[in-house]
Amino acid sequence: MPRFDTLQPARMVWDVPAPACGGALLEHTQDLNQFLAEIERRAFRMAQVALRDADDALDVVQDAMLKLARSYGSRPSSEWRPLFYRILENGIRDLQRRRTVRKKFMVWLPGAKDDPDNEALDPLDTVADGSPDAPERLMQDQAMQQLEASLRALPARQREAFMLRNFEGLDVAETAKAMGCSEGSVKTHYSRAVHSLREQLGEVW
Amino acid sequence: MNEESDESTDTALEKRSGALFQDSVESVDFAMRSRLTRARHAALEAAAGAQPRQHLLGMPMWKPIAGVAAAALLGVALWYGPLSGTLAGNHGVTNDSQNTLDDLDIVASSDPGSVDAIDMLQDDLDFYDFADKATNAGPAA
Repeated sequence: MPRFDTLQPARMVWDVPAPACGGALLEHTQDLNQFLAEIERRAFRMAQVALRDADDALDVVQDAMLKLARSYGSRPSSEWRPLFYRILENGIRDLQRRRTVRKKFMVWLPGAKDDPDNEALDPLDTVADGSPDAPERLMQDQAMQQLEASLRALPARQREAFMLRNFEGLDVAETAKAMGCSEGSVKTHYSRAVHSLREQLGEVW
Repeated sequence: MNEESDESTDTALEKRSGALFQDSVESVDFAMRSRLTRARHAALEAAAGAQPRQHLLGMPMWKPIAGVAAAALLGVALWYGPLSGTLAGNHGVTNDSQNTLDDLDIVASSDPGSVDAIDMLQDDLDFYDFADKATNAGPAA
């Protein structure tokens, strides 16, 4: 029996925004829409792993979509992926920087709690699932939580290299474009990330 | 041997982490999927709204330049050209016409029953009376 939350959403008539005018523009908008639809959930999860907050992750993803469509929509579609992830990573870094500054100010305010890192767990999240594959599901969730925690412990550039290469499947050249560095740097960051993760997760996995 | 073991561990780690991540992507709930879809539509619509209009995009670059040049040429021709003389010649006529119109306006604006009209009539009568007396008294002086 398929899980309810893994079903694909129905394709709606309004799934593609109305074109401004012209066949080329319509085709272009459809291509961009299709591209964004393909990557949006992975991008959201990557942002969520980095930011630990769903709303912030959604904001960053939407901002990246807007910037890509506005500034780089006219570029060849083959360039969209590295460009999108570059915008996304910049957005994540900006938000993390703002959080750091905010945290420094919040220290001076008694009782202030605005840090998603300190959020208490929702009790409903810990309620046991009654489905037959619940134990397996639970193990996977725990493993993913461990992976996320380990990824957050990595330096930002290593985390970016690992997620872009391993989660998004970008090759070294595309990852270098997305990160704005050389291919050699990508290889170094990735290798160090894998090494660190193996040290942290090797015993558990 | 040890390096090979490390490499195989790395590969396993990469595969497992990739699979876990993909599984977590599939588990994104419907509410969040819907929000992502709305965000995508909003981004595409905003970008489409920011694009320049198609009819302006299709217009050749020389057209606005030619328009400005033609306007400048017409301005110079009106200022220095033969038309300016004709216009200057007509300028007096225009002034005369304007004066005539002003007089007509003053007359027309004088209401026959108004105080001004009565005063003018009285002045005229006084003048004719004075002239008559002066004529009659002339030989005596």
